[in-house]
Amino acid sequence: MAPRSITYSFPTVHISCPCDESIAITPKSPTKPSAPAALEEDLEESEEEETFDPRAPRSNFSLFPLDNLLYCEDCNQIRCPRCVHDEIVCFFCPNCLFEVPSSTVKSEGNRCTRNCFSCPICFASLVVTPTGEEQAGPYILLCNHCLWSSAEIGIEFEKPTSIAAQLAQKLKPPSLARAPSGSFTSPLSPMSASSESYFPSMGAPTIITPDDEVDKKELSPEERFIKLKAHYAQQRAGAGADEYGSSPGALSRLMGLYSGLGSGSRSRSFGRGIGGFSNTGGKGKPEWTEWDTVKEIGDDEEELVERIKEVGFAGTASKEQRIAQSHQPRFIQDLKPLAALLRTKRSKRCRACRHILVKPESKLTTIRFRIKLVAMNYIPALSISRLDPTAFNYVALTPLSTHQFLLTITNPLFDPINVTLATPAKTPGNYPSTVTILCPTFEVGANTDVWDEALQTATNTPTPTIKKGRKTGMLIGTVWDMGRNWTTVVIEIVPPLLPLPGELDEDGNELATEDDRVVQVPVSVRVVYETDLERDDGGLGKEAKEKREHTYWSVLGLGRISEKMPTKAAEDAAGPSAARPMSLVSAPGKSVIGRGSAGEEVSGNKNRHSVR
Amino acid sequence: MPPKQTKGEYIETDTGNKVSRKSVILGSQNIILGGKTIIQADCTIRGDLRRTVAPGQHSGNVAIAVGRYCFLSRSSVLRPPGRTHQKTFSYYPMKIGDHVFVGEGSVVEAALIGSYVHIAKDCVIGKFTIIKDCVRIEEGTVVAPNTVIPSFSLVSGRPGVVIDELPETAQEGLELKNLYRMI
Ligand SMILES: [Zn+2]
Ligand SMILES: [Zn+2]
Ligand SMILES: [Zn+2]
Ligand SMILES: [Zn+2]
Repeated sequence: MAPRSITYSFPTVHISCPCDESIAITPKSPTKPSAPAALEEDLEESEEEETFDPRAPRSNFSLFPLDNLLYCEDCNQIRCPRCVHDEIVCFFCPNCLFEVPSSTVKSEGNRCTRNCFSCPICFASLVVTPTGEEQAGPYILLCNHCLWSSAEIGIEFEKPTSIAAQLAQKLKPPSLARAPSGSFTSPLSPMSASSESYFPSMGAPTIITPDDEVDKKELSPEERFIKLKAHYAQQRAGAGADEYGSSPGALSRLMGLYSGLGSGSRSRSFGRGIGGFSNTGGKGKPEWTEWDTVKEIGDDEEELVERIKEVGFAGTASKEQRIAQSHQPRFIQDLKPLAALLRTKRSKRCRACRHILVKPESKLTTIRFRIKLVAMNYIPALSISRLDPTAFNYVALTPLSTHQFLLTITNPLFDPINVTLATPAKTPGNYPSTVTILCPTFEVGANTDVWDEALQTATNTPTPTIKKGRKTGMLIGTVWDMGRNWTTVVIEIVPPLLPLPGELDEDGNELATEDDRVVQVPVSVRVVYETDLERDDGGLGKEAKEKREHTYWSVLGLGRISEKMPTKAAEDAAGPSAARPMSLVSAPGKSVIGRGSAGEEVSGNKNRHSVR
Repeated sequence: MPPKQTKGEYIETDTGNKVSRKSVILGSQNIILGGKTIIQADCTIRGDLRRTVAPGQHSGNVAIAVGRYCFLSRSSVLRPPGRTHQKTFSYYPMKIGDHVFVGEGSVVEAALIGSYVHIAKDCVIGKFTIIKDCVRIEEGTVVAPNTVIPSFSLVSGRPGVVIDELPETAQEGLELKNLYRMI
C-alpha cells in the first residue's frame, strides 16, 4: 500500500521508519553511535546530518502514523509497511464474502466468479434484479446508486445465478465462436505485422497473410488473451521439462518476445537475434528504441471520430472509467460490468529477520489475530493539542508570534520510561520556524493493565515531587502535567513571516509554496528504561534487570502559517530582528537539545494571540 | 475532555444506556439496547417500522437491536430497511453490534452493522447494506443500497467505495469505552 502523505488536517503526528537507511539487510538500531569528540565544526556538521528533514523528498515514504507501524521484538525495531513481507493467508470476495481457494485464483483470475460486479459508471456494487413479472426473469445487473443497468449495453440474464459465467458467454465475440483458436499460427500477429522476427531461432511458422490482417481488426482483448494463453502453453510444452524462466535460454527468449512486442510494427530492427536485450553494444547496456510514435488518424479511426460526433462528450468514458476496464474503451456504451476484485487476508513478516509480526486467524469472518505485534504497544505515543483550549484553529497560525502546544507522551510499557526529546532550534526548510521544548527530559509512569486501572483510578497518583507547570506557571525544565502513564510538556513555536502567495522571485517561481506554510517539527524521541529480563526457564529473575533504549524520529505537523500579517503587538513581542523574515532564512538551523538552562519564566498568556 | 452534561439531559437505564430526553424514539418496545449505549439529542430511532406479518402469524418483535458501547450522535437517524417482496411491502430488522459510532446527521438504513464501526458525520448508509467488523466510513459518504463492506475497510465517496485497508490496530482505534466514560 502506498505510504500516506502528510495531509493538511492538523495536528498530525508521524513516525519515521528508519528502514530506508538499512533496508532489510541487517537488523540495525536506529541510534547511531554518537560522533566522536573531534573538531567542533565536524560535530556541528554531524548534528546537522542527523536532523530528520520532513521536507526531504524521501521522507514522505518513511513517515507513518503510529497505527500503521508494527514492531519486531527480535530486531527491537519498528517496522513499516515498507519493511515487512506480506504473505497471503486467503483470498476472498469483498462482496459475497466467499473464500476463494488459491488454485481457483490461479486458474480463474483474481476476480469473483459468482454474481459480484460493480458499476462501470460509478463503481457502486451492482445488484441482480428481475425485470419480468412476478420477480421472474430476465434479470439485469442494476446499480442502486446511478441506476445504470446492464440492459443499457443490451445484456440480460436468463437466470439470477452464475452471472459471471453468463456474462462471459455473452461478451464472447462472435469471431471467436466462428474460428477455433487453434487455427491461429501466432498470437502476436494482431499486434505486429512483423512477428516473423520474434522467433527467428525457433523458426516459428509465422506466415503473414492478408487474412491475418483482416483478423487484426476483429480481435477483442478476450480473444487476444485466449490466444496468448494457448501460445504460451505451447511454448512451455516445447521447452520440455524446463520451467519457464529457469534457464537462461528460456529467459532470453521471453525477453525477446516482450521487447519485440513492445516495439510494435514500426520497428523491425529491434527483434533481431535472440532477444533485443542480448543484442547490445560494448558494455552490455540495453539498446533503447522508440516505443511508439505519434499516430495520424488512419482510415480505421475515422469511424471513431464519427462516433464521437454522434455521442458527444457526455458519451465518452472518463479516465477513471476507462482504466478500470481491461479493454480501455473510449465510449460509455462500451463499458462492461466490472467483476469484483478479490481481497486478501495477509500475515506479515519482518523483512530483516523473517520473524512473524502479524498473523490473522484463518477464519474469514473473524477480525482476531493470533499474532499482532504493533508498535503502539512498544513505543510511546505522542499527541498534540493547543495549550489554550479555546484556540483550536490550526490552519492559520499568526506569523512571528509564539504559539504554545501541549505535547503528551503516553507510555504503553509496564515499566516507567525516561524520555529525552530533541528538536532542531529551527525547523528544516526555506522558512524555518523557531521551536522550543520547555522540558526536554522527563519521566513517564508505567502502564498498568485494565483491571488495575479500574480498581485504582484515583489512588494511583503520580510522583508528587515533580512540580507541574499547570499549577506553578510555565517554568523551563518543568513538565506541564502528568498522569498515571502519561506526561505533558509544552512546545513553543514562532512561525516565520512568509512572502504572500503570488509573490514571485526573479525566475517567476512562487517565493513561498503552500508546503512552506506547513509547520513540521522533527522531534527525536529517545526512550530509556529498565525491564525485568525474561529468562529462558520462564521465571523472572529478581535482580535480572535489563536496560533498554529506543530512539526514533517523529514529525509533528503543528499547523499552517497564516497569510495575514501579524499585528503590531506581535511584532514587538517577537523582537525587531524577527520582523525581517529574510534574516531567518539565512540563519543556520543548529541542533540544540533542550534549550532550557536557566529558570527563566515564560508567562502562560504572554505573546499568545488567539487565532480564529 | 468535554464538560459533564447538565444533569437530567440523559435518562440512564438499568444497563447503563444513556438516552437523551430530546431524542425521538418511536416504537421503543421494538428496540433493544445492549447497554452503555449513548443516544444524543435529536436522534430519531424508528422502532415502529416493524416487519409486517400476516394475521395470526408470529414473528420477532425486534425492529432495531443495538449492542454495547454504541454512540449515536446528534440528529442521526436509524431506520430499518424496507422493500416489497412478493407484492407485500415489509420492513426488515436492523442489527448493530458493539462499539458502533454514528456521526452527526448520518442516516442509517443498514440491515447489519458489525462491531467497531465508525460512521462519520453526514453519511447515508443505504438500505440493506451489510457492514462487517472494523470499518471506518469517512465524512459525507453515501453508501449505495445493498452494498457489502468487508472488515478492515476505509470507505469514502459518493457512492461509497473501499479506498483503503485499515491497519491491524483498527479495533483499538475504534473502541468507544472511553467515549462512554466522558458522557
Ligand atoms: Zn520501514
Ligand atoms: Zn463475490
Ligand atoms: Zn452506478
Ligand atoms: Zn525482525
